[in-house]
Amino acid sequence: MSGGVVAEGLVKRFGSFTALAGVDFSVEEGTVVGLLGPNGAGKTTTIRILTTLLRPDGGRAAVAGYDVARSPQLVRAVIGLTGQYAAVDDDLSGRENLVLVGRLSRMAKRAASERAAVLLSAFSLVEASDRLLRTYSGGMRRRLDLAASLMVAPPVLFLDEPTTGLDPRSRLQLWDVIHGLRAQGTTIVLTTQYLEEADQLTDRISVIDGGLVIAEGTADELKAAVGGDVLDLKLADRARTADAAATLAKAFGVPEDELTVDAELGSVLVPVSGAAALIEAVRALDAAHVPVADIGLRRPSLDDVFLSLTGHVADERPEMAAPSARRRSMMGA
Amino acid sequence: MAGITLPAQLAGTPESRAALPPARVVADIALVAGRNLRKVLRNTRLIVFSTIQPLLQLILFAYVFAGVARVPGTSYKNFVVPGVIVQTMVFSAMGTGVGIANDLHTGMIDRFRSLPIARSAFLVGRTVSDSLRLGIQSVLLVIAASIIGFRFHNGALAAVGMMVVVVLFGMALTAFSAWLGLTLRDPESVQAAAFIPILPLIFTSSAFAPVNRLPGWMQPLAKVNPVTAAIDTARGLAFGGSHTATAAWHFAAWWVAIVAVFTALAVRRYRLG
Ligand SMILES: Nc1ncnc2c1ncn2[C@@H]1O[C@H](COP(=O)(O)OP(=O)(O)OP(=O)(O)O)[C@@H](O)[C@H]1O
Ligand SMILES: [Mg+2]
Repeated sequence: MSGGVVAEGLVKRFGSFTALAGVDFSVEEGTVVGLLGPNGAGKTTTIRILTTLLRPDGGRAAVAGYDVARSPQLVRAVIGLTGQYAAVDDDLSGRENLVLVGRLSRMAKRAASERAAVLLSAFSLVEASDRLLRTYSGGMRRRLDLAASLMVAPPVLFLDEPTTGLDPRSRLQLWDVIHGLRAQGTTIVLTTQYLEEADQLTDRISVIDGGLVIAEGTADELKAAVGGDVLDLKLADRARTADAAATLAKAFGVPEDELTVDAELGSVLVPVSGAAALIEAVRALDAAHVPVADIGLRRPSLDDVFLSLTGHVADERPEMAAPSARRRSMMGA
Repeated sequence: MAGITLPAQLAGTPESRAALPPARVVADIALVAGRNLRKVLRNTRLIVFSTIQPLLQLILFAYVFAGVARVPGTSYKNFVVPGVIVQTMVFSAMGTGVGIANDLHTGMIDRFRSLPIARSAFLVGRTVSDSLRLGIQSVLLVIAASIIGFRFHNGALAAVGMMVVVVLFGMALTAFSAWLGLTLRDPESVQAAAFIPILPLIFTSSAFAPVNRLPGWMQPLAKVNPVTAAIDTARGLAFGGSHTATAAWHFAAWWVAIVAVFTALAVRRYRLG
């Protein structure tokens, strides 16, 4: 393979702690791969090894065909990196930061300032472009950091949680940028805590946990592996939640602990298969005189996948994560 | 994809890392140094305060102690100026480690490391910008000292020689400071830790009194102290004196030792990441 990224059995230890226990990971040239995993899984460590910032204690990795350990300079010439934490200079203006990165990447002065202007406008930073970074908000710094990694239009781009801390508009802007880069053939590795984002942006996903890749595939493949559908029920009367759960467990012949019951929300989730389950559920609830506010079938989300694989919710943020006890019991084993 | 595996032999020989043309290395160093200097200029408050402090000290010594302290060969006012300037170089050199720790702290070092720049550019660029900073500061101090009556006795060439000596000494200490910055990785710790060796070295030196006026137990320490070597060499160049050649040899030996040891330590730290 020429472009792309391949890692074989990457091991990284910090003292006696093993952060990576043999990560196998690959990205075909011109595709976008998401690296997903709970906090501390080893995502950042993997990215730092692939971008030559850390040396692996074992295993091998190549970026665009160059060995990251033996030829780091060649790797650096073909990558762009936006790390998990913004790497920008507070005492320089936005424009100066970009031009510095461009010049250090061997761009001519003129080309660097032209490219900086393009990126400043792509990331809505034109007004702030001549202000010192120390006056930027968190999201603005993040955007400038992203722009910096795009100064040379690198063939391989690494983005470690690129949208964390961005407002919804900036996030959509970045999604557009990523779609655009992909269309131009850029190979992209990104990590994210937002599973919806992984669904939107990536061609394939590697799920990493405890320093190992525990699943790999397209979002659809991963969802299919979790299997089945989810029956999602909201009750009109929260007091009847337990009754509803018992009724449904009996109707579908599943043990009650495979249901996800939230008495406070008055909701019940049941793993089922096929649309007939919906009719059966309505009949059983009606027969038991349990009034229903809302009922529906849905495919498992990436959140469900993530939970069933790692036993953690993706993130503690309320917009992403349902109460973990609820989800956990839904996914059962 | 699981199907992709690495070929046994990957492209890019290890040599390819080192083979940057000298012009590029110089360009990278200039870019890094330029960026550092720009940061210094943006921190105007820091410049003002770090210049005012030695100025106050000069004025204090020149007008308060000049009347009571007597030193051989020159006035106390003259005597104390090289001491204050060298002391300022020592303190200013600690800015190197603070700057490096700051770059580690803010992640700028990751930015530099992920770019295909000369590996030496980060540390050498830092040395270049900080030497310039020290040079400018020492010139300002000499000008200020002349205004309050400081005079060289030995002509222009020796005066330039004194400036070179004080800046060289500061440069040597930037290596120590760089190592401290790369080791402690936190600006506040660097600042605090730097004082531990530096204050005793300055106070057991000939900065404010000739060595033979210091307490007896302190004199052997003061004689081998690198700060004494630098100050006595600077004084010798400014005012002359029989002691100058010995001091210059001490200074040269210390300079080589400090630069060699701490450059090696700093480079090793930098490579470890
Ligand atoms: N320099 C270090 N020294 C010691 N331990 C480290 C170091 N860097 C990372 N680790 C540990 O290695 C593990 C993996 O860290 P890593 O930053 O790769 O996780 P992550 O998947 O990026 O997590 P997050 O989602 O929180 O960013 C963690 O347990 C972390 O504490
Ligand atoms: Mg991380």
